Amino acid sequence: MTPRKRYGMSIDIDKCNGCGACMMACAVENNVPPVPEAANDRKGITWIRVYRVDNHRAYPERRTAYVPVLCQQCGHDTPCVHVCPQQAVDVDPETGIVGQMPERCLGCRYCMVACPYHARYFNWWDPAWPAGMEKTLNPNVAPRMRGVVEKCNFCHGRWHAAQQKAAAAGKREIDAADYVPACVEACPTGALRFGDLDDPSTEVAHDAARPESFRLLEKIGTEPKIHYRSQRDWVRDIANAPHPDGKDQHRG
Amino acid sequence: MTGGKIAFASGMLLALAGGWLAFPRVLYRTHPQPVDFSHKIHAEKAGAKCEDCHAFRDDGTYAGIPTLDKCSGCHAAAMGTTAEEKNFIDRYVTPNREPQWLSYARQPENVYFSHIAHVKLGKVKCEQCHGNEGGAATLRPFAQDPISGYSRDIWGRPVNRIALRTEGGMKMDDCVDCHRRQGLEYSCLGCHK
Amino acid sequence: MTTTRRNLLKFVGGGAAGALLTPAPWRLITDSALWSENWPGIPRPAHGGITARFTHCTLCPAGCAVRARCVAGQPVSLTGVKPHAVSHGALCPWGIAGHHLPYHPARVRQGPVKEATAAVAQAIAQRGTGEHVAVLDLRPGRTVSWTHRRAMAAINGGLYLTPRQPGYSIDLAAAKTVISFGAPLFDGWGTPGNVIAARSIFRLIQIEPVETRTAAMADLWLPIQPGSEFMLAAALAGNMTLAEAALITGVGEQALAAVQEAAESGQAVVLAADPASPLMSLNEKYGALGRTVVARSDAPMPEAWKQAAPEMSMAAAPDGAIRVLLIDESLPGGYIPWRRIAPKLAPDAVVVVFTSSNDGYARHAQFVLPAAVYPETAEDIGPAIDTVAAVFRIAAPLIAPVVPAVDPARFVERLAGLPASEPLRERAGAIHKAGRGTLLDYTAAKSTPVKDVTADNFWKTLSQGGCWMDDSAKRTAPENLVFPAAGEPPRDERPLTVVVAEPRRGGLESPLMSKLERESNLRLAANRVALSPDGARASGIENGDRAVLETAFGRLNVVVAIDPSVPAGVVEVAGGPRMADLCGGNGRARVVRA
Repeated sequence: MTPRKRYGMSIDIDKCNGCGACMMACAVENNVPPVPEAANDRKGITWIRVYRVDNHRAYPERRTAYVPVLCQQCGHDTPCVHVCPQQAVDVDPETGIVGQMPERCLGCRYCMVACPYHARYFNWWDPAWPAGMEKTLNPNVAPRMRGVVEKCNFCHGRWHAAQQKAAAAGKREIDAADYVPACVEACPTGALRFGDLDDPSTEVAHDAARPESFRLLEKIGTEPKIHYRSQRDWVRDIANAPHPDGKDQHRG
Repeated sequence: MTGGKIAFASGMLLALAGGWLAFPRVLYRTHPQPVDFSHKIHAEKAGAKCEDCHAFRDDGTYAGIPTLDKCSGCHAAAMGTTAEEKNFIDRYVTPNREPQWLSYARQPENVYFSHIAHVKLGKVKCEQCHGNEGGAATLRPFAQDPISGYSRDIWGRPVNRIALRTEGGMKMDDCVDCHRRQGLEYSCLGCHK
Repeated sequence: MTTTRRNLLKFVGGGAAGALLTPAPWRLITDSALWSENWPGIPRPAHGGITARFTHCTLCPAGCAVRARCVAGQPVSLTGVKPHAVSHGALCPWGIAGHHLPYHPARVRQGPVKEATAAVAQAIAQRGTGEHVAVLDLRPGRTVSWTHRRAMAAINGGLYLTPRQPGYSIDLAAAKTVISFGAPLFDGWGTPGNVIAARSIFRLIQIEPVETRTAAMADLWLPIQPGSEFMLAAALAGNMTLAEAALITGVGEQALAAVQEAAESGQAVVLAADPASPLMSLNEKYGALGRTVVARSDAPMPEAWKQAAPEMSMAAAPDGAIRVLLIDESLPGGYIPWRRIAPKLAPDAVVVVFTSSNDGYARHAQFVLPAAVYPETAEDIGPAIDTVAAVFRIAAPLIAPVVPAVDPARFVERLAGLPASEPLRERAGAIHKAGRGTLLDYTAAKSTPVKDVTADNFWKTLSQGGCWMDDSAKRTAPENLVFPAAGEPPRDERPLTVVVAEPRRGGLESPLMSKLERESNLRLAANRVALSPDGARASGIENGDRAVLETAFGRLNVVVAIDPSVPAGVVEVAGGPRMADLCGGNGRARVVRA
């Protein structure tokens, strides 16, 4: 039996320049379609979304930081698992990854209400790609249908691929280098890191233990596995904000 | 009074007969395979093992049904005298057209199944899931559920699941049964994508 | 037994009860659930063998090395190549989804090739004395550019026009302090990986009116009054006191003093948003010429190519004398506003544009011919501003062309009567003959000195997405570096200053960019502008309102976003051809509620 892992991520907010490469790589990897013209920032699907946050001062004292928010993979009392009437959400004891099963989902969106991080997204439309673009879909991830909820699963298709590669070599244990989510791979500044939080030799475990490290809404006790860090006090304060997206700015 | 009982019973009997006997027959549409390939002859003359034709790629992914190149390797010209071979060469090999094989065991898109993990790590024999396909002299017709679009092999053979064959089936229940016996059942994402 | 109504009902009841005891109803329920998961229209990804192929991204001059994950030969995702001496494995969001471009629904798919050819031939035959044939090349420095130049040299009165070129390279690794006047260092200025890798070495002082991505990453951001950059530069140059400059620029005197100190403490370089801006002349004062701002070196080329038309800027072209203008917009580049081009055209001029996008010159040309897009064609990429050693990188095609595209170089070649050539191969031959530098082979993950490679292998590796890189030569100061003096901005009573907060090159971009623009609020979309809360209130505009952006040159329908990080008196816009036609960078504008 493979040893149990507790996969997590560390995000250095001070390094994030808000380019959006992670969001693009995520959508490409996970077969997330571009939404129709009618969609806005409330109906779009972004498994990882980079929010602009600020220090609430007026120009020119105003300062911006970019905070990538994805499913925080809550490790304790996972809210979405609790509320799902369909058992469409489960936590994998092998990896700690919170999985979402579109085929089981009935589309009630209770989990979206329960999620403290707004990290779950609903398919308001059938997935549609411009003619020909469906050739660029990733075979390791199944497209979802209209009327179901989806979210980040740490690129589980890549975990499968790593398992397969290990199996081909006759091994049960995957090579850590073979399993890196698309956003982490794409981040040009190295702000995102990924690995096993229970293995003290990994970079993420080291990052999570830093004094400037924090987690979003740590106080509610869901033990999220995404560890943010910043040297700036006002950035660390966002950990307690109810929603990182200020209602006063909608630029997209 | 008895007339009513007879009416009820006959209605019930008719429905039971229809549901158990006729329904499984009418539910599936059958399609013939493009070529009547004989696994038996090929196993005897060409390759003894399944992997000789149903190979793994270098990266561990399973290539499935071999492509025409593999066939043309031997059948560039007729090797035997059967009409079926001549037909195969005329229709596919000479114009270099891939036969559109109908895969009995193709799982739905949302299923992640790694052949190599089962064969190499799990030591599962091909026959355990696929039955004795390799010994069949002819290709059976491909039966498809027209509503779901799934093959009968992965979606209900037999429909009632009472007379389950020893080689099992390929429904999710069959996967789960085996995984549960081995203590290898963790989460949905283990097998779904 | 008689057939009564009651018995019939009992028969039906018995049938229903019996049916419930069979698999039929239950199976039909599950089947219809499965049907709903497989609506016709939900595409099934193709399966097949997985391979890695390599190329270079042509979307901007950075030309980052790209590793494509291909399923049955079709690229399904792109990543950078790690490790890489220049691009360091990084890709920008545009590059990550570059493999979608061939399928873009808005792509130019067909065009009147025959009609355009005939019209051009006729115009050339009938042109009067002093009338010119010109190629406008938006991405000069490519091998294709040399074909254009050779063709224009072969045609009597041929001109080769380009956007303003920097004429130098920046060696960021040689800088300790970077003073950037709005240069979007982290958003499209140079090679993303190279800038990020050098970032730990230099201190970044960003001078610009709004907090762009680069300003957010700077060690010091000086929010400056828009349009007063030259005053700050004058203060740094010693032509104005800091107190005076502080008053005009809105930047505190202390901050100015800090910039001056950092600039004069050695190894400083000044960068500007426009690489040909007069602000760049400050570099002479800081001794950056020859150290950080160095002469650009080009890859060797065949001797015969040197008979080429000289590069000419649009401003230098004679007025009203271009009879035939061929615009190579196959790769997006420095868009020149149409109002600068129109006066150069003869009254009955023929304008042909080779492009994949309807957004650029296609709006102005008579003939729009479809061009191939990345990653469909083999071509090289011009020099990046932040690469010092000469490089020759080929973008190897990853897929077969999706539409019948016209090759602009072949079109121009034929027009000039030049024999069809294989310029990439000829140039690779010339580089191999020169015998310098290293060949990077991404497939084999190794680099080999050119002298150890045969000419055939050299070409083979390059054409499969390899890269040649010159030995690092001695850095020299760029020659003939002339920066035009800053002109007086025209008087314009409109209340708002336009600030391009979102640099864009134009051209097609993946439909998935909606993730950054519409589905989140990360980037400003092309049809959006951002106003300060005060500015919006003054115009009676609320968040999300439709409005018209009006400048001296036209109007554009936009959607307004209200953003407290925008200073009063400023309207933030995204760049691109439409905005360039409307205001040409920083102009004055008014936003009126629609």
